[in-house]
Amino acid sequence: MKPEALIESYVAEVVRYLPRRLRDDVGFELRSLLTEELRGRAGDGEPDTATTLALLADFGRPAEVADRYRPAGFTIIRPADAPRFAWIALGGVAIQWVITLIATYTAPATGAGDDWLSRLGTWWLSAGLGAFWWPGLLVSLSIVAAVITARRGTDASEWTPRAAAGLDRDRISRPLYVLAIAGALVGIAALVAAINLATWWPWLPQPVLDAFVIDETFLTTRAPWALVLWAAAFASMIAVLIAGRWTRTTRLLSIVGNVLWIVLLVWWVAAGPIFVQPAADSVTKGCLILIAAICVLDLVITARHLRRGIPEPAV
Amino acid sequence: MVAIAKHEQDLRKGVLVLAVLSQLREEQYGYSLRQALAERGMPIEEGTLYPLLRRLESQGLLVSRWKAENGPPRRYYALSASGAELCRELSASWASLTTVMSDLLEGGER
Repeated sequence: MKPEALIESYVAEVVRYLPRRLRDDVGFELRSLLTEELRGRAGDGEPDTATTLALLADFGRPAEVADRYRPAGFTIIRPADAPRFAWIALGGVAIQWVITLIATYTAPATGAGDDWLSRLGTWWLSAGLGAFWWPGLLVSLSIVAAVITARRGTDASEWTPRAAAGLDRDRISRPLYVLAIAGALVGIAALVAAINLATWWPWLPQPVLDAFVIDETFLTTRAPWALVLWAAAFASMIAVLIAGRWTRTTRLLSIVGNVLWIVLLVWWVAAGPIFVQPAADSVTKGCLILIAAICVLDLVITARHLRRGIPEPAV
Repeated sequence: MVAIAKHEQDLRKGVLVLAVLSQLREEQYGYSLRQALAERGMPIEEGTLYPLLRRLESQGLLVSRWKAENGPPRRYYALSASGAELCRELSASWASLTTVMSDLLEGGER
């Protein structure tokens, strides 16, 4: 291929990656510059194919050269966010796969050809591939967020001393904390009221009263422990409220409290009925499992806060 | 092994814009600018310089026009008013930086 034709092809490839309005102008200039560069390299002789190819190789891959012509673009996912983004994206896919695979293989058999391989094939073509909607959605939302940020012309809101105060994760918002304590008290009051429904409000419809009849064994053996844990939890919450911040001790107390609550809730669910009526009992146990899961989550978060200190290097 | 070439490249990258601006007080086209810089000991790869000229122009630091003088049409670049202002500012910063760096390096060798 002749040097001119090589340069022509190269320039055509570069401008292919550029905005349409720039293509002719940049293309014409680039071609004339490359031609001059080639003449410069060839010196007094005639430029040959090898010299031309060496020049183009030095100039760079067409797509990369085109990138250099463009102003700096916007970042869709910041490098700092990339690992977390990858975890959330792939974790979401993995969770969907686990749930849908369990559902696929626990579903009743439908006929003779319904073996594990055909189920796997059906699963892959439906829920398996379908799970990728999640990373797709995350990327789409990131693009929208990046475009909005780029249009605003700033990378993030102003970093002020007030915003920097948010780094102090041990500090609590007292009004919110008071609300949380009040909410917990209302919840306990509602539970106590539910236990004493028939005594306090005997005029309620019989089906309602029947639904809230508590199992006698539960009430005498397993329920009282909740009072002990509630009392301890309130003491801890009041201590945090007075101090206005979490301390290592209160966090440790919170971890111990969470562990005890998880043990108690599992015991409640596993050791027998809570309500006499099966429907009320199963709904309640479902709620208790959910509460236990929240306790586990809180436990993990609190433990992470405890571990936050930077260890001294080994010397 | 320390990648000396990479660090040196990074060092040069930092002064690239100032080097280009300093040579465009008078009109030049891409190839002649590259030659001028190379002659003064600042060789810049063609694949870096030519796109840079366009980017500086899009930032309003350079102005350009097509001109044909004894040959094919060429795009000539020169400093715009804001480019000249930036060149002055960066030159002052550079002077201060070289003083500081000289002090640091001489101090390091003591």
